[in-house]
Amino acid sequence: MSAVANGRPARGRAGSVLRLRSARVALVVLAGIAVLAVLGPTLAPQGPLALNTNSLFQGPSWHHLLGTDYLGRDVLSRLMAGTPLSVLTALEAVGIGMVLGIAPGIASTFLGRGFDFVANRVADALMTLPSIFFAVAVTAALGNGLVQAMVPIGVLLAPAYFRITRAATLEYSRAQYVEAAELMGASKFHLVKAHVLRKVFPNIVVTTASLTAGALLAVSFLTFVGIGVQPPEPTWGGVLSSDLDYLSQAPWAPFIPGALIAVSVGALNALADAFRDRGGRGVLALPQLAQLAVRTGPTLEDANGSRRSVV
Amino acid sequence: MSVADLVLVASPTTTAGAEGVPPRRRGRQILARTGSGLAVLVPIVFISSFITYSLGALSNSDPAATILGQDGATPQAVARLNRSLGLDHPLVVQYWNWLVKAVHGNLGVSYFTQIPVSTSISQRLPVDLSIAGLAVVLAVIIGGSAGILAAVRRGGWFDRGVTLVCSVVSTLPAFVVGIILVVLFATTIKIFPANGYVGPTTSVPEWLEHVILPGLALSLQVSADVARQLRTSLVGVLEQNYVVGATVRGLPRRRVLFRHALRNAAGPAITVLGYDFPIMLAGAVAAEAVFSLPGLGQLLLESAQTRDIPVVQGLLLVISSFVVVVNLVVNTTLNVLYRTKDGTSA
Repeated sequence: MSAVANGRPARGRAGSVLRLRSARVALVVLAGIAVLAVLGPTLAPQGPLALNTNSLFQGPSWHHLLGTDYLGRDVLSRLMAGTPLSVLTALEAVGIGMVLGIAPGIASTFLGRGFDFVANRVADALMTLPSIFFAVAVTAALGNGLVQAMVPIGVLLAPAYFRITRAATLEYSRAQYVEAAELMGASKFHLVKAHVLRKVFPNIVVTTASLTAGALLAVSFLTFVGIGVQPPEPTWGGVLSSDLDYLSQAPWAPFIPGALIAVSVGALNALADAFRDRGGRGVLALPQLAQLAVRTGPTLEDANGSRRSVV
Repeated sequence: MSVADLVLVASPTTTAGAEGVPPRRRGRQILARTGSGLAVLVPIVFISSFITYSLGALSNSDPAATILGQDGATPQAVARLNRSLGLDHPLVVQYWNWLVKAVHGNLGVSYFTQIPVSTSISQRLPVDLSIAGLAVVLAVIIGGSAGILAAVRRGGWFDRGVTLVCSVVSTLPAFVVGIILVVLFATTIKIFPANGYVGPTTSVPEWLEHVILPGLALSLQVSADVARQLRTSLVGVLEQNYVVGATVRGLPRRRVLFRHALRNAAGPAITVLGYDFPIMLAGAVAAEAVFSLPGLGQLLLESAQTRDIPVVQGLLLVISSFVVVVNLVVNTTLNVLYRTKDGTSA
């Protein structure tokens, strides 16, 4: 019964989100970026590393749609070739946060107060570590590399997932139909799978959209300051950083990678907002969530569902 | 304390009883609540500092070999140096010794320069405090006035403009904003210097000239958050009966707005400021990179490159302590602002 009853609103929800123009635009932008992430290096019109000393700092033209950089390399090609690294490492961080956050978030409402207390304190502690600082510090310990740098970002995203899932699980695990199922002898695993996860899912979608935006920003920033990439390799942040060194020759140049970063982050945030606004009863309102998160004890901060938890 | 508490706390009914509590008891209540706040912080500080210290153990670098150099690194010399650095103890013991020293202001010595970590941090801290402090001030001024004006003229063109600008600005990361500001105000119209830093003790106007652009870059996102929060809560408060009542009783509009409404509406905005503080610190690193300021972020990047673990650990400890302290200050401020009759915060 529940499958039918829950299946419909879910479809209705996605539909109502899509009715928002901002959500449709955001999805188109994200689809474009996804295509670039997969096919970017293949589609790039020119070699991202091909030098051309005859055409330095050129403005946009038919030959170079987004102009050329200080070594005469085609900016469009460099940005396209740099997309997979930026997008994949951002997804890596979000994936790590998801795995580390969701499981204890659900478990903490079922495993008793002791586990809950410890998990909450660990989440609090992780929240006091500013992610960029922590990421750079970890590269000091483990060696320079974007993958190493994004693992700690992922770990620091986990508290947000933990709080959101924990709050939502608390809310739904006390519902009468869950109690009824429990009385009828359903196992905890079944309860979580059939009743809780399904309800927690919309919250996770919203969180994922905004955390991916944060992770993407973190990647761009880390590559901007030169963490994790060897110079000739193209990245979004790297293009931005080299443009900044030659402002007097090409003052317009930083706007291109800057706009690319801002548009992709903006699209993810817009999608998160659209889900939050139109998600219907499935998505808890922010204050509600935070309240749930602190119900069993004072916390330092809450998981704000956070728009920009990273940079 | 969280946004949710604030939403509850910020509702005007809760402050009504505060007048009834005698001042001394009120002071004690605040102290007690700050105390319990501190108690919650203790495990948090221990966990986060332990994570910070463990970074050293995680690293496969060999500090003794680094310090001694290739020629001096005989097994005996390495063992002796490890003993004198305390690296032959178990991790927990090492951590405890490090923490005790850190509490006394001794964060160890850089593996490379032999400069005490606390010295290099305190040299660079003013840079970040300048830009982060300026960013907070600007966020309060810009975000505060935009939020208040938008709430007062709700539905008007100013309100719609603020909403639009906020949603655009909040997607622009600090380093992109910083670059835009450099292009506009440092290379195109040359009003402000594009990089460098001058201490306020040397020359205040020059200091301001150097920190205004990074401060502004850092403050825009926070301003947008503050404006949004303040607008929402102020719109709600302005509709409350007691505000209408105060207006009807003929109190001056300004007094009603600032004394009666704003006090109850400020909570969420203050919380957002507190939340955004870690973001601002991260942003300060970005601003330092864009404006080439000699701050903590540059120190972090340099020491990460050379894998100077004590410096990295010290920096992380200082920064996370800042975050903890700011959170405590924000919570205490909110406790002072919003009290209830029985002394619990709603």
